[in-house]
Amino acid sequence: MTNQPMRHRPAGFANPWLQLVLSVLCVLASEFLLKRGAADVAEPESAWSWTGVNGLASPLVWWAILLIIASFVSWLYVLRYIPLTIAFPLSRVVDILVPLGCWIFLGEFISTLRWCGIALVVIGLALVAKPIAQIEERL
Amino acid sequence: MSFLAFFFIVASLLSFVTAQLVLKRAMESTRKSGFRNFQFFARVAGGITLMTISFFLTLGLLQRFDLSYLYPFQGLSVIFITVTAAVVLKEKLNWQLTIGALLITVGIVLVSLS
Repeated sequence: MTNQPMRHRPAGFANPWLQLVLSVLCVLASEFLLKRGAADVAEPESAWSWTGVNGLASPLVWWAILLIIASFVSWLYVLRYIPLTIAFPLSRVVDILVPLGCWIFLGEFISTLRWCGIALVVIGLALVAKPIAQIEERL
Repeated sequence: MSFLAFFFIVASLLSFVTAQLVLKRAMESTRKSGFRNFQFFARVAGGITLMTISFFLTLGLLQRFDLSYLYPFQGLSVIFITVTAAVVLKEKLNWQLTIGALLITVGIVLVSLS
């Protein structure tokens, strides 16, 4: 059952792998916007703020919501074709793109421990992606 | 970490994992019966509701904790979703996918601890 949905894979912009990449990029941008937006309007002393609703006062949060909706539409499309056991671990590449982006574009320091974590995620992603590559080769 | 913080972190994680399973079911059903059926709309609505709950809980948590502190918990979603997709959705889970998901989880935790 798992790999059946990949057989009739659409090409071009409708390619589910391309949609997975677009979904990841939207999530990446939204993570930065959400953190900045939430920090801008933080009210830690208010009990109501546990719900996060006061975050809507920040325009950055609204931009993040737009990106999240875009990534959600792409993600729904991805789920139609790719098994969750493969798509979801691959989508977590965003967790290393955030620190890597900070290192490349912002010149931030990455400690040895962080490099080890990034290496583990890359090896994990390679392991998850390997069966996909074999399936695609056979098609 | 206070009990309240732990409760909201777990609630956010659980609602996110459940939403993914519900949405996967919804999109799988469209391959057989198309988009115009009640089950599809009900499942997508349920998935969106759960994701919305998870989103606002995360927003509330982000106001109190650093993103790097919350990341290990987000990382746990990889292993939770991989296992529940295999159990609930009956997706095949071989050793490569299992070890891959475990490495990604440990890697995310290390990145956030550093």
